[in-house]
Amino acid sequence: MVGLGLLVAVAGLVLVVTLSTGAAPSDARRTADLAAELRCPDCQGLSVADSPTTSAREIRRQIGELVAGGASDDEVRAHFVARYGEWIRLAPSGATPWLIPFGVLLTGLLALGAWLLRRPGGPPTTAPPTDAQRRAVRDEAEALDA
Amino acid sequence: MRALRWILVPLLVAPVAWLLFQGFGRDPREIASPLLGQPAPAWSLTTLDGETVSSAELAGRPYLVNFWASWCIPACVDEHPVLAAAHERHGDELTIVGVLYQDDPDDARGFLSRYGDAGYPHVIDPDGRLAIDFGVTGPPETFFVGADGMVRYRQFGPLSEPRMAELLPLVLPVAIR
Repeated sequence: MVGLGLLVAVAGLVLVVTLSTGAAPSDARRTADLAAELRCPDCQGLSVADSPTTSAREIRRQIGELVAGGASDDEVRAHFVARYGEWIRLAPSGATPWLIPFGVLLTGLLALGAWLLRRPGGPPTTAPPTDAQRRAVRDEAEALDA
Repeated sequence: MRALRWILVPLLVAPVAWLLFQGFGRDPREIASPLLGQPAPAWSLTTLDGETVSSAELAGRPYLVNFWASWCIPACVDEHPVLAAAHERHGDELTIVGVLYQDDPDDARGFLSRYGDAGYPHVIDPDGRLAIDFGVTGPPETFFVGADGMVRYRQFGPLSEPRMAELLPLVLPVAIR
């Protein structure tokens, strides 16, 4: 009887944990994710999450504070962009910057295609000899044999 | 078609080459501060002498916020006399506030006794909160705040005499030499 009660309790706990992590990320998770998105101001190419500097530590603390205070992810990002500019974000916002390389690639492929199609003459070809030319060759060969 | 190519190729290549070339001479952290034209962040901090100074006390008066550190060598050593001279000349109408950037107060005192204490206050910024509010990426950085409390300029890197002479008119009503 006690065993069954324990089983139900554990199952309930597992269910609650699964639902809570599945429904919305925890504050700690969001803080860590946001810290990984922001650039450490006094490092070279490190995120706030990866850096041990005083600024990084303080920014992590502020993210935690903002998240706990009910700020959305975008509000937290905006808080630091207002101070450092877009530079503070390790990845650019919006889809446009990500599409540029594909645009360049497509332009290059189109240019290559256009160039190949426009090349004069197309692939090199040799016209088959005319009957007169065949006859001339045959006559010459016969003359040599003779 | 041939003529078009002679126009099109430089037209595409030149801007890219120019952009890449520009990148050589720039520090990637030297970006326009989003604070320009915005109210300067508010603060109230303790000086090295144990007194409290706040931005509210400076309201109605132009001031410079200079982030520095004793370990910032040679840049902070180079600009130190420039700030001292500005304080000496314009101290009546302009306040200069030094903010320690990730520095030990004792090391900062050592710096000031070695290179001269010009007499303007230096505040301790625990956890670097003010540096974050100003979006500082490394010392020295100096913010020029007008009498209206708006950030007029951010100087990235050390201030030289000519640079200071150029920038002071942004916050002082009359350009004084």
